[in-house]
Amino acid sequence: MEDALLLEMTRSSLTRGVTVAVDLSDARDRELVEAIARGEEEAFRGLFGRYAPTALALARRVVRQPFLAEEIVQEAFLAVWRNPAGFDRQRGSVKAWLMVMVHHRAVDAVRREESQRRRAEESQRSDPVVVLDHADQVAEAVGAPQEREAVRNALGGLPEQQRQVIELMYFDGLSQSKIAERLDLPLGTVKSRTLLGMRRLRSAMAGLER
Amino acid sequence: MRDHGRIEELIAVRALDGLDGEEAEVLAAEMASHGPSCEECRRLEVEYGEVAGRLAFALDPEPVPAGMEDLVVGLATGSAARLSAPAPGERRARGRGPGGVRLRPLVAVAASIVLFAGGLAIGAIATGGNENEIPSDARVVAFQAEPGAGTLSVAYTPGESGVYIVGADLPALPAGQVYEVWMIEGETPIPGPCLSPAADGSLVAFIDAELATTDVMAVTVEPETCSTAPTTTPVFVADLTTA
Repeated sequence: MEDALLLEMTRSSLTRGVTVAVDLSDARDRELVEAIARGEEEAFRGLFGRYAPTALALARRVVRQPFLAEEIVQEAFLAVWRNPAGFDRQRGSVKAWLMVMVHHRAVDAVRREESQRRRAEESQRSDPVVVLDHADQVAEAVGAPQEREAVRNALGGLPEQQRQVIELMYFDGLSQSKIAERLDLPLGTVKSRTLLGMRRLRSAMAGLER
Repeated sequence: MRDHGRIEELIAVRALDGLDGEEAEVLAAEMASHGPSCEECRRLEVEYGEVAGRLAFALDPEPVPAGMEDLVVGLATGSAARLSAPAPGERRARGRGPGGVRLRPLVAVAASIVLFAGGLAIGAIATGGNENEIPSDARVVAFQAEPGAGTLSVAYTPGESGVYIVGADLPALPAGQVYEVWMIEGETPIPGPCLSPAADGSLVAFIDAELATTDVMAVTVEPETCSTAPTTTPVFVADLTTA
């Protein structure tokens, strides 16, 4: 069953020229999403068990409020339950789809807070900001599974300047203009560093299993 | 072959949710100019989306709090009342952060609301507790919409945090699309939650926000990943300054 699905997806990927690998893990995820579409609670629990811990880590990292992070993860999984057809198998892996949903909600929450806080903290906006290098924090985990190591290696393999903007954007939820402001860089420099970094990550992750 | 340099740059930033509002509009315009059948555009979106999703796995997984799985499953299946998770009141008190958005146990909230064709009536009907009821002195404003778009109303108490969005007869959206709520202050749209109506076209949601500075609320149809700025014309608009 999984092999047949794998073959089908591989063929589909090759046809589309999408340079991503497909593996049995994603085949399993896709089966879970299909089962969720049929209303199977156990499949929903299965997907939750597989990815809620990472989703929670991501949400907490971005919003830095544990209970808000839980709400974000809750909301993302409920979105999966309510609309499993939202997953388009032509557009990538289940795990990436899920994490993108979590990240988007987390960033929305951060920016909403920021917007509400803006008026009250207008005077503090020009204060110097200490930019933390989160690479060590991200990379210091012990005993990470193979995928985590591979992603960390990909991230750690970026030139420092590229990694910095990508981490500020992804893990801190800052927009490109905020990053430019924080690092006192031209916006164009932030854009080009982001693009170059993302290209490198894409290459480094192209061979990873889904 | 068309040049995709600009689009690639914007897609890469958008994948990380780093686009500002104006740039999101630029990307939407660029994508529109390439048309929906642009294979290269789609390939870039897929590949950078995959990279962004994978970056989450650089983080160590966090232990999921006891009861959270049961709570989420219970909310999904409508059996949350049977769960041993923290009580809704407790979660709300702990979880309420400025601007935080959450969907409440929808079944319980929906039970407290009755929709009529001509307007919105609110009352407690066998709810699990007062915490899920909309206050009787809430201000209710109906959204304006084109015929056939369904009905949508917002209920809130001026000066207090907490906004209910209630809809009926909402048409099902195409796969991959959701309704996104915007709270517009002057000319600045502040993104609210992304919502999907139930199979019967009904919708109930709670936004943990305060509308004192909101002039207009609007709802657009957006990709299910939600947008940081509206990318389509609003299908619902409510003017809170004149209501």
